[in-house]
Amino acid sequence: MHFSPLLYLDPGSGSFIIQILIAVLLGLGVALRASWGSIKKYFGAKQKPEEEDSDSDNASS
Amino acid sequence: MQAPKEQLSASFRDPSGFLFSRAGILYRQINNAYANNYARLMDSGLYDKLVKAGLLISHVESQQPPAISELAFKVIQPERVSFISYPYEWSFSQLKDAALATLNIQKRALKLGMSLKDASAYNIQFVRGKAALIDTLSFENYKEGEPWVAYRQFCQHFLAPLALMAYCDVRLSQLLRVYIDGVPLDLASRLLPVSTKLNFGLLTHIHLHASAQKRYSDKAVAPRTSTSLRVNRQAFIGLIESLENTVKKLTWKPAGTEWGDYYENTNYTDGAFEHKRQLVREWSIEKKPAVVWDLGGNTGVFTREAASSGAFTVSFDIDPAAVEQNYRTVKSKKEQNVLPLLLDLTNPSPALGWNNTERDSFGARGPVEMALALAVIHHLAISNNVPLLQLANFFAAHCKWLVIEFVPKSDSQVQKLLASREDIFPEYTREGFEQAFSTGFTIHRSESVRDSDRTLYLMQTR
Repeated sequence: MHFSPLLYLDPGSGSFIIQILIAVLLGLGVALRASWGSIKKYFGAKQKPEEEDSDSDNASS
Repeated sequence: MQAPKEQLSASFRDPSGFLFSRAGILYRQINNAYANNYARLMDSGLYDKLVKAGLLISHVESQQPPAISELAFKVIQPERVSFISYPYEWSFSQLKDAALATLNIQKRALKLGMSLKDASAYNIQFVRGKAALIDTLSFENYKEGEPWVAYRQFCQHFLAPLALMAYCDVRLSQLLRVYIDGVPLDLASRLLPVSTKLNFGLLTHIHLHASAQKRYSDKAVAPRTSTSLRVNRQAFIGLIESLENTVKKLTWKPAGTEWGDYYENTNYTDGAFEHKRQLVREWSIEKKPAVVWDLGGNTGVFTREAASSGAFTVSFDIDPAAVEQNYRTVKSKKEQNVLPLLLDLTNPSPALGWNNTERDSFGARGPVEMALALAVIHHLAISNNVPLLQLANFFAAHCKWLVIEFVPKSDSQVQKLLASREDIFPEYTREGFEQAFSTGFTIHRSESVRDSDRTLYLMQTR
């Protein structure tokens, strides 16, 4: 892996480090949620529809 | 290499390409360095999906010769945006929607193997009433394991100002006018109440983020080259969703203003109000302007009379609560040709950024075919002491047709303004107003507004 010539933003050392720490923590959450979903599915719970296009209206309250 | 004259002055940071203008048409040159990414954007279906969802402006590939041919891969002609606005001119919900649109785009991009390589608030514009990305070259191929290169920029451009507006004061959006690359996180962290450290999103993305920046400020890390510092796809998605949840939870409700009751606090009778609406509507239909600026538009009642003629109407107001309410109306009614913006007419947006040419001043984005200045002249002439002749010159520089309301001293609103100060405005009379404005305008109509002492004029610049 090497720096792409198009990376014109300086991501910042501190921003990279903290992002990795937060992301690892949150990644665990995503993984847990995914496995919880498959556990529920195993026991016959209905799956929620894919959210991809339901959030096309980027609305806030 | 010297930049060609056609290149837009705000378009120089990203080596992927740049904007240039030729014969009044805006083009974007895509450089060879970006060829692979562009192909992926178009071939993966991401472009079509985003354009269909209104999250990215459309473009067509053009046969125009490039502005710098030795770098060029392609030239595209992007859809023209009706009015370029900046984050320091947006209300709370406008900035929030711009942030959510950015994250929404990032989530969709990830599903198709791409990622945003920047997250600048200046890349978002309001197109047909909705926040949309205008930079077609913001995408790069996603490489699993790499962190989000635009994370810091997202926090500075969106999260920090939104948190400050929500938790401290909505007027702190004006920090974006000082800091062109977003609010420094150490500053945001200092200004935010300590209680925000109990909010997981703000604790991590602002407070701890600021501490990490300070701690590693003089240390070089290159996680893109490291195998130990990796963010896998799940963690990456977790990060984007965390930012999204944090932004979604930020809210702002105007306090101290009569939410929704703006026009009940005026001295108008229903008859006067209706008469004004009717005149604005009739004159807009008669002159058929393509673009109207409503200067002092409040929550946009008269803006919408002008917009009903089909004009794209920008509604400027100094009150963040009024702009917020106006924008919420745009959203709830799905209006496509009204853009509410925050602007202090006594200190309008200046030209900003590198060489003062990256962000246009308010005036440089005009002139327009028609401007409305309703119930605003007394604020400028009396509260701000601007001589009538200077006001006439100001309006003449920004529009061709002017619909302006003169509010005389006998009016209770002007009486209020004069109650606490000496009347040093002997020329502020109807005759004085007409004389001053006749220097730059031809007065075509003047109508006494029913049930009031006010007069509405339709004027044309000379």
